Amino acid sequence: MQKWHWPTPNGLPPFHISIVVICSILLLALSASMVEISYNRIVNGWRPMVDFLGHLLVTPDWSYLGQLGAKMLETVEMTVLATAIATIVSVPVGILAAENASPHPFVYRIMREVLSFARALPELVWALVFVSAVGLGPLPGVMALAFVTVGFMAKFIAESIEVVGKGAVEGIQSTGGGRLQTIMFAIMPQALPDFAGTLLYILDHNLRAAAILGLVGAGGIGYDMVISMRMFEYDRIIMIAISIYLIVTLLDRLSDKLRKRIIHGKVNVIR
Amino acid sequence: MASIKINSLAKTYDNGFQALQCLSLDIDPGSFTVILGPSGAGKSTLLRTINGLETATSGTVCVSNLQVNKQNLKSIREHVAMVFQQFNLVSRLSVMTNVLTGRLAKRHSLLSLLYLFPKEDYAIALKALERVGLEEKVWHRADKLSGGQQQRVGIARALAQEPLAIIADEPVASLDPRSSKEVLTLLRDICREMNITVVASLHQVDFAREYADRIIGMNAGRIVFDGPPSAFTSSQEISLYQHETMEVKEDAKMALAYA
Repeated sequence: MQKWHWPTPNGLPPFHISIVVICSILLLALSASMVEISYNRIVNGWRPMVDFLGHLLVTPDWSYLGQLGAKMLETVEMTVLATAIATIVSVPVGILAAENASPHPFVYRIMREVLSFARALPELVWALVFVSAVGLGPLPGVMALAFVTVGFMAKFIAESIEVVGKGAVEGIQSTGGGRLQTIMFAIMPQALPDFAGTLLYILDHNLRAAAILGLVGAGGIGYDMVISMRMFEYDRIIMIAISIYLIVTLLDRLSDKLRKRIIHGKVNVIR
Repeated sequence: MASIKINSLAKTYDNGFQALQCLSLDIDPGSFTVILGPSGAGKSTLLRTINGLETATSGTVCVSNLQVNKQNLKSIREHVAMVFQQFNLVSRLSVMTNVLTGRLAKRHSLLSLLYLFPKEDYAIALKALERVGLEEKVWHRADKLSGGQQQRVGIARALAQEPLAIIADEPVASLDPRSSKEVLTLLRDICREMNITVVASLHQVDFAREYADRIIGMNAGRIVFDGPPSAFTSSQEISLYQHETMEVKEDAKMALAYA
């Protein structure tokens, strides 16, 4: 019989890791009973589920196609517009929120706090706020999306700036390059593939977020989706679901391709 | 061409490590000086202080009578170019852009932030690349080049600064012997032809003997040897590098004595 050991001096798993694992398991067990995860409800849930899916096996309401197209287009437009606005704001904010590029530790702290405030509530809640401020329609949707996106994107950008190697930065500094020159010539080119990855991920996320903003009257396909659900218009629900699926998948494929090209240096924004 | 005057320079890091202890040194303009010494002797700290990448705890460094301090930092760095062990190029930028960054100190305008450089700078960068023999690689990405080629880009960037002095911090420590010779020959020729003062730290004593006008031996933040290569005998070499092991031996003796 062979004796098995962990690669530690005494052959036992590290103490703090064991504690973390045990605590996580206890916490999970506890919270599962709190949110009433019951075996019975899950198992007995399959029947209504099949019923609902059965309703979806209907002939699509082709007369709805025109409105669907318009609403999907609006959703995509909202996504692209909100992401574009957020990107323009996030790059400078991200630089200020990166520990190694921020002009002062105080600025860095303030920026981090502002960003976590923007992230604290989901898009839907901000959309409610903006709907009551500017009225119904895609405008409050775009505002809410852009606002929350800055919270995430600037944080991601700051983090990819923070992992840029010291070498390139020192190289530019040693030539007498100024603060902004160092950001543009050392940090930006090195962090750019990361930025691109972040941007594509957020675009994906925002499309899905934009699809439900209509729930609170903030534009996009969401409103139609909610109305059709309430009216049991399964012939429309199936069309909406499939078109969201198709667009999300299309975007996913495109972003995969683009990301690979950027990482492998086939697409160079700065040379 | 610049003289470098270092006066009672001391550097203590935040963690309490004393890298330099009251070190004074005058380097003649247009000379090729090699600094030798074991790891941790303070070679890097000394060299980086000349470019202002490290700030001395006390003492002064003057390059051509201009003192290195916060106010002069930009003009010092403009005239004192650095060459690094890890090259410190911007790996995703082209060779040309990397060399052009040597012009940044002279270009304060907003245009440089949009990656725009005047024609004159391209001519200077191209000349620098021709000098290091990389005119074929101008538009390649920096990280697609071999180590020796990347270091030559680093030297071209230094040349594009049209510097008075080049400080090379272990420029050949990550290179194979052949590339090392190429890089050191290049640095020596630049020193001779353009009258640029070169100070380099090395780990290879043979290279130091071959290329240097003057060898500085450092240990524990102090200068322990200073003279021409002919004076740096093999017994000098042994005592320069054996200091640490001697201490260890003495520690062992002490431990035995107490046992």
